Amino acid sequence: MSLAYLLRRLGGILIVLAIVTLAVFAVTMVLPGNAALMILGEYATPESLAAMERQLGLDRPVPLQYLDWVSGALHGDFGMSLRLSLPVSQVVGEAFWNSAALAGTALAGVIIVAIPLGAVAALRRGTLWDLLIGLFSYIGTAMPEFVTATLLLIVFAAPSAPVFPAGGFVSPVEDIGGFLSHVVLPATTLGLILVAHISRQVRSEMSEVLSSDYIRAARLKGLRPGRVIRRHALPNSLAPAIAVISLDVGYLLGGIIVVEEIFAWPGLGRLLIYALQNRDLPVIQAVTLLMAVVYALSNLVADLVIAALDPRVRYA
Amino acid sequence: MREILRSPTGLAGSLLLALVVVAALFGPWLAPYDPQAFHATARLQGPSWEFLLGTDQYGRDLLSRLLNGAPATVSFGLGATMLGVGVGAIIGVVAGVAGGTADAVIMRILDGVLAMPELLFTLLIVTLFGGGTGQAILAVAITFAPGMARIARSAVLSVRTREYVLAAVARGESRAWIVGREVLPNALGPIIVEATIRVSFAIMIGATLGFLGLGAQPPSTEWGLMVAEARQFMFRNAWTVAVPGVAIAITAMGFNLFGDALRDAFDPRRSR
Amino acid sequence: MTHFTLTRRHVLLGGLAAAALLPHAGFAQTGTTAAGTPKSGGTLRISHSTRIATLNVLNLSGPAEYPVADMIYSGLTRIGLDNKPHPDLATSWEASDDASEFTFHLRDNVTFHDGQPFTADDVVATFKAILNPDVPAAARSVLDMVDAIEAVNLLTVRFKLKTPFADLPFSTAHANARILSKAALEKPLTELDTKANGTGPFKLETYDSARMVRLVKNETYYQEGKPYLDAVEMLLFPDLTAETANFLSGQTDIMLTVQQADFQRIAGAAGVEAKRVPAGRYVCVVMRQDQKPWDDVRVRKALSMAVDRGLLVDVILEGLGRPAYDSIVAPELEFATDKPEIAYDPEGAKKLLAEAGYPDGLKLTLVASDRPAIRAQTAIALKQTAAAGGFDLTIQTMPHDTYLANVWQKGAFYIGYWGMQPTIDATYNLLLTSDASYEDTAWKNKEFDALVAKGRATVDPAERARIYAEAQALELEDRPYIVPFFEDVLTANRDGTENWSVAPISRYFYVEDVWLDRA
Repeated sequence: MSLAYLLRRLGGILIVLAIVTLAVFAVTMVLPGNAALMILGEYATPESLAAMERQLGLDRPVPLQYLDWVSGALHGDFGMSLRLSLPVSQVVGEAFWNSAALAGTALAGVIIVAIPLGAVAALRRGTLWDLLIGLFSYIGTAMPEFVTATLLLIVFAAPSAPVFPAGGFVSPVEDIGGFLSHVVLPATTLGLILVAHISRQVRSEMSEVLSSDYIRAARLKGLRPGRVIRRHALPNSLAPAIAVISLDVGYLLGGIIVVEEIFAWPGLGRLLIYALQNRDLPVIQAVTLLMAVVYALSNLVADLVIAALDPRVRYA
Repeated sequence: MREILRSPTGLAGSLLLALVVVAALFGPWLAPYDPQAFHATARLQGPSWEFLLGTDQYGRDLLSRLLNGAPATVSFGLGATMLGVGVGAIIGVVAGVAGGTADAVIMRILDGVLAMPELLFTLLIVTLFGGGTGQAILAVAITFAPGMARIARSAVLSVRTREYVLAAVARGESRAWIVGREVLPNALGPIIVEATIRVSFAIMIGATLGFLGLGAQPPSTEWGLMVAEARQFMFRNAWTVAVPGVAIAITAMGFNLFGDALRDAFDPRRSR
Repeated sequence: MTHFTLTRRHVLLGGLAAAALLPHAGFAQTGTTAAGTPKSGGTLRISHSTRIATLNVLNLSGPAEYPVADMIYSGLTRIGLDNKPHPDLATSWEASDDASEFTFHLRDNVTFHDGQPFTADDVVATFKAILNPDVPAAARSVLDMVDAIEAVNLLTVRFKLKTPFADLPFSTAHANARILSKAALEKPLTELDTKANGTGPFKLETYDSARMVRLVKNETYYQEGKPYLDAVEMLLFPDLTAETANFLSGQTDIMLTVQQADFQRIAGAAGVEAKRVPAGRYVCVVMRQDQKPWDDVRVRKALSMAVDRGLLVDVILEGLGRPAYDSIVAPELEFATDKPEIAYDPEGAKKLLAEAGYPDGLKLTLVASDRPAIRAQTAIALKQTAAAGGFDLTIQTMPHDTYLANVWQKGAFYIGYWGMQPTIDATYNLLLTSDASYEDTAWKNKEFDALVAKGRATVDPAERARIYAEAQALELEDRPYIVPFFEDVLTANRDGTENWSVAPISRYFYVEDVWLDRA
């Protein structure tokens, strides 16, 4: 893989990001109403609305607003939130770390659970275990997050006998125990579809590897089965799983929108919905941009991993 | 079809789908009550002989609402998918057949769209359109189109070099004839398989949009919306959220299983 | 000049001959008499689930923003639990006979939180800012009759009005008309979003809009011995379920707003006192009367008869409210009349519709915004009960931004939702007079306008009562709105949190009277 390829990919990402910001800006401009109207609500008079628009800078020509935003963003200044009277970078930054804590926990859990599940299913092909794991993965992929979340809440957070809190957030830096108890339900919700997806992937890759020549050769050499699996089968079926995981980051980014809203997790997803509802354009811009960056980078990483692990794939 | 029914997943998928299709076609007539009628004295009740699946916060019969919402929920998935697949397939086939600069430009644009996480993209589009069932269908279709276009394009490309196409070219057939008679029918398989699996995604996204208040609007009986409306009352009567939630999962699973079986039938090498 | 005299215990209002007797030395009448003597100290934790997005008292409007403003800032006057204005930074005031000039006498020896003395200059600067059209200020609409405001001396200010207005002390009590320091108003106003320098019982310590706003005792508050609390924490819970759970487990002392769906459960929990405050917040059905079929009063009355108010109160409010009978005037307001009950009578509705020329009933689309949920809920319930009366309603729910931009004040038939106003004058001038702030019904009635104008210029209470009774009778006769119910204000505190009270208008909270009795 060449440096030129990497540069071209990064250039592509930049172009995509530029399009994204322009599109988001256009979208919010086309919509009826604006942040000033949302702040004042039904107590808006034409006069107070005009004053609020002046204060928020919404009375200036649209292209000018966009250019101002772009030049600010290029200098790392994303402006002030229209609704929250705080700098966008602060609002979005905090939300990003909260989301990262949730997504990271979910991803870690997924890896711990999904790879063994897939491996077991592959090693015990055709047994009851395989069937159960398969069934589970089918159910998992058919449950939208809001359904999983709601069912988990009913079972584990009923006010009569709550096992876990029904929502909210505790910073892992301040209180790790509190964080863990709050993160269990949202991370489980987020992870369920991924576990289903990744375990199925691991199962099929590993089945393929297990029936390959070099494993058979290793077995013929008389190596113990445990060693064959640990040293040969598992590592070789992991590469595709890693690629799948990085691709699933895109899914995670969508998933957190719903999961954070339900579990009141103060992350990017919940912030995005709040900003969309309040027409807080600078926040919408920053969150969308950040999500697109994360998504694009994870795609790039996935491609790089695949290329590094599989000598047949070459990028010119 | 026989092949599909022979595999356990195919059989299960077909059975679930049959159940869903019956509900979607005849649900409104099977409903024991008017789905909007209040039974003010029987609010938030569990299942009973009078109300087989219980009642919601207004005392509306959950079974009737479920059956009544089936057509809306299923047709959302089908409508959005067909629209998305249709548009995507056309774009993909055009790109694949045209080749050259046109192909490169189209694919670059699609890559750009695909650079956004799916739900985020849908969310932005629905917000642009202002929320509502029609708008949500359109948004999901737009989200699906680029992915479908890619699949259709690669299907066309793989078919393009097959003998029968080359033979047609050698015979001097017109381009339109080749595309219509040789390329399309043979590229259709992967498109149909992908579409079936996509229906379950569409149903899930549609329900999610309904849940977020951006899709179907009250007093619709769309299932995602039913969960959203009852969420405040879920601890007082779990049935209000569990009934529509499980129904969504069953429907999505039906399409998933059926789609998988369909894929195996089309492409025996991939069966496990 | 009528002189309004004021002693510590007696307040004379608007020429009112009878004195309003206050039970406590402080002016905020607390509904329950506290058990035992107040103890000082402790931190009060108040939970809420809507963001405190700004501290800018000129235009804040969030349910959790009001209590913060009420704790940090003082007004010239302040509304008490009796819905009447009481002295705050003004110790007394008097009006000219024709109510076109008001003089307020200010409290001496009051300082802002930063130590600067409070004077008439601050009052003048504040009201000038409110009246400045370049400043987004929510209180301007209730003060737009003010022509000029001047400092007579260091502790006296005079308002000169363009038109007579007897309710000025209500306007000066507006939650968004609290007194800011002149110095703060000379700086960029955006600083008010995150900083606060008031004269109220508590000082701002921490403002973190994502988590917590922490206020600490103002040692130099003008009411001696108050506040009792050392600190108040406004804790943001991003979710109702989490908020309820934390309140019930004792992590918080007060749950600012309780949802109807949770009220029974919370009220039934041990160690908790849930409170219902009958109030004037209402949902209304807006019918645009310059359009068919709503130009015909019979159609409006027919729909009114087809509303099953009892059912709506039970199903939507869980019984936590009162049926209303088509007047937007809350029963709590001064000069409010008793409204005759309107029974659910679908047959009568059908008959009236037929009389109006719709023997086969009417097919209409009723629009409701999706926020708050009560709008769509009312629409859905209305559809059910009105069907028997010959109204075939299609409900169209839409996102709030679309509603605000496209339907509000434009649509022919939609669901409105309004908070309680402090006076009849404010209520009617908000929505019903010909030059109302929001003319969503397009209802115009010269006679009604004249009555409201006369009412606001009249000082004699008996005369005002007569005038306002006439105006309310006109409202009922012409039925510009259908008002199905008034919603109660719901709040809850844990045992040992004494004297917590919320005014029906839910803008005033009297936290300086609250004390903690922790065993």
